[in-house]
Amino acid sequence: MAQTQKNPINPALALVAAAAGWLVPGLGHALLQRWSKAIVYFVAVGMLALVGLWMRGNVFSSNAADAFDMLGFLADIGSGIFYFLAHTINPAGADVSRAAGDYGTRLFATAGVLNFLCVLEALQIGFGSKEEGQAAG
Amino acid sequence: MMLNHFQTMVIFALAVSLAFAFLSKNNLNERLRYAVWAFLAFMVVAIGIGWLMYPFSR
Repeated sequence: MAQTQKNPINPALALVAAAAGWLVPGLGHALLQRWSKAIVYFVAVGMLALVGLWMRGNVFSSNAADAFDMLGFLADIGSGIFYFLAHTINPAGADVSRAAGDYGTRLFATAGVLNFLCVLEALQIGFGSKEEGQAAG
Repeated sequence: MMLNHFQTMVIFALAVSLAFAFLSKNNLNERLRYAVWAFLAFMVVAIGIGWLMYPFSR
């Protein structure tokens, strides 16, 4: 049976890691010294967000017109720095008149939601409530 | 950047299965196995649903 370890509870570090992980995907895990997770989460979230923006996906703003726009905003904001740099990365803006733009919208929303999952895991690790194997990095 | 639906789906499946593997498994072997399994599951299910919808596309 694989040995598991629990980390000592450090609420301050957990909260800082969660905030950092939201702002820059993977940074929270880097602060918690989970290096391989940090790299994988940064690459996965970054790849989804960048491809979504390069495909001219829609980035929802906080002044949503309806409930679906608000849901879109809540998903998009999860990608942290990529949300705030969206207009720098793709200055041309969204174009959902083509299918590619629509796919881009979904990819960018997926990046945000995926990063929220990573933030929750960083919180779990920081609060010591996640059991990890010895090789978990 | 112009990607078609299939290429977009591959990128989605790759990123999500990799992240899920690291979120849910603890050692390299388990992660690798889970990532491959999830990636293939994404692809098979998406292509399967695509074919199920094919008769209604015309």
